[in-house]
Amino acid sequence: MIIEIENLKKSFKDVKAVDEISFNVREGELFAFLGVNGAGKSTTINIISGILAKDGGTVKICGNNIETDADRIKSEIGIVFQDSVLDKKMSAYDNLKSRAGLYGIFGKAFKARLEELTALLDLKDILKRPVNKLSGGQKRRIDIARALFHNPKVLILDEPTTGLDPKTRITVWSVVEKLRKEQGLTVFLTTHYMEEAATADYVVILDGGKKVAEGTPHDLKTAYASDFIKLYKHIDEAEKYFAALGLNVKRERDFVEIELNSTAQVGQFFADKPEFFEDFEVLKGNMDNVFLKVTGKDLKEV
Amino acid sequence: MTKMTECKKLISLVSRNTKCYFKDKFTFFMSLLTPIILFVLFVTFLRNIYIESLEKAFSENNLTVNTKIINGCAGAWLMSSILSVSAVTVAFCSNTIMIDDKINSSVNDFRVSPVKGTTVSLAYFISNFLITFTVLITVMLIGHIYLACVGWYLTVADTFMILVDIICGILFGTLLAGVVESFISTQGGLSAVATLVSSMYGFICGAYMPISSFSKGLQNVLSLMPGIYSVGTMRNHYLNGYMQAFIEEMRANSVDENIINGVINGIRDSFDANLYSFGTKIPLGAMYGILLGACALLLVAYIAIVIIKNKKK
Repeated sequence: MIIEIENLKKSFKDVKAVDEISFNVREGELFAFLGVNGAGKSTTINIISGILAKDGGTVKICGNNIETDADRIKSEIGIVFQDSVLDKKMSAYDNLKSRAGLYGIFGKAFKARLEELTALLDLKDILKRPVNKLSGGQKRRIDIARALFHNPKVLILDEPTTGLDPKTRITVWSVVEKLRKEQGLTVFLTTHYMEEAATADYVVILDGGKKVAEGTPHDLKTAYASDFIKLYKHIDEAEKYFAALGLNVKRERDFVEIELNSTAQVGQFFADKPEFFEDFEVLKGNMDNVFLKVTGKDLKEV
Repeated sequence: MTKMTECKKLISLVSRNTKCYFKDKFTFFMSLLTPIILFVLFVTFLRNIYIESLEKAFSENNLTVNTKIINGCAGAWLMSSILSVSAVTVAFCSNTIMIDDKINSSVNDFRVSPVKGTTVSLAYFISNFLITFTVLITVMLIGHIYLACVGWYLTVADTFMILVDIICGILFGTLLAGVVESFISTQGGLSAVATLVSSMYGFICGAYMPISSFSKGLQNVLSLMPGIYSVGTMRNHYLNGYMQAFIEEMRANSVDENIINGVINGIRDSFDANLYSFGTKIPLGAMYGILLGACALLLVAYIAIVIIKNKKK
């Protein structure tokens, strides 16, 4: 395990921001921390990266304890903050140079690493430009380059796509995917975008500072999310029929959606009421349903 | 090896802070606001007031002196005001990078890096010192060109001591800014402090009106502020050459030594080259002592703040 967290605790006065959470991250995986604002995601990241001190529990990164080997841990992790910390008036090159300096990377070593990252993240055309003249996606690429300059084993992304337009989000994700494939990097992601969490290898859902569920997206969907059928014909009759069976039925303008207790029910309903199934689709439960089930909160509404 | 790397990190941080400052044209302009205001005030009406005041000091004793010395003396007084006050006001404005880093959370980027908190704080201090020094030297050079045009009577020794005074003043200003601005973490707080310091410090230190023109009570209160001794040392070294020129001119006109001493002491008193605390004249050496003592106290406070802030997360 590259990250081992046990019974981590952190309070701010009376508020328990992180309440005895434990989890492990395997080397090379994309690990997602899912939760609404205030769930404890950023606090946990801030403890892991050494910005905040913990109140209790243990944190180990690459086998190093955060209390005794903080500097070694800092060399093993790179972090992309939710809000860019680049110096906006300075060029991308100057930003990378000053950040590399913090890790003791100067001269030839700086030039060599800059060349690698320029090729990897396609930075050539933007290096000389001031950061405040770059687009959101270009800034994020520089943010990622900054976080990777010292060759960390773990890349922490704190809500990296929040506030970005859909096109830029896709750009950022393609960069992250490339890094995982080409560099074998462990990526620790916090997000409140379900589609991002759904692509992760392992997901931990936080709510009110507590861990409320964990597993692979498939495991979580199997455990917490129901399947649905959508019927597009005879929707009035279908609505009444399935409601009478005590199922959760949602009526929309041109279809009715029925939440199933098990996928096997589809076959039974199809046999009993084939006329309803002239036009239909079966939907697998998604991470939105998982999140709603385990936290009682709809991420689209909070 | 580790110390060497930490030293390189320090240089890298200082370079970054300095670049950030000079790339921000607005902050640079704000830093120059005090020297610009003082210069405009001087050109518009202070210059005439000082020249009239000097001429009056001589005419009261039925003496006449070369107007070139009088003009130069008024300019030198202005230079001592600008440089000693700017050493503090520029330091407060150019330290904005430290607060901007808190506001923009750039400080978190330093915390996640293997760089010591003390190195980051030291870098802020050094870069602020270098920026303020650069601005003041630029202002000094421009001012000295002006003095050369209107009347240059500075000696080499005094010019060297002016550099020493600038360094002492900046040391005081940078440490004061470091301590005060350690407690600021918002843009509003920064603007309030920068505005307050820029507008008040010049008055408190007698940059606009000599302290000698204030009431005795206020003079005594102000004498407790170490900043005015930075003005005092600068006044001494800027005015020495001009006082000597006055003396030589009066001697050449066979003026009685007692009258010469009376006139020169009168000018030195009214132009704050002589500073008094509760009736006692403060010698030049004591001015340096008070100023450097204040610097030492501020340094201890700054170190304490840095240590406490690094422990508290």
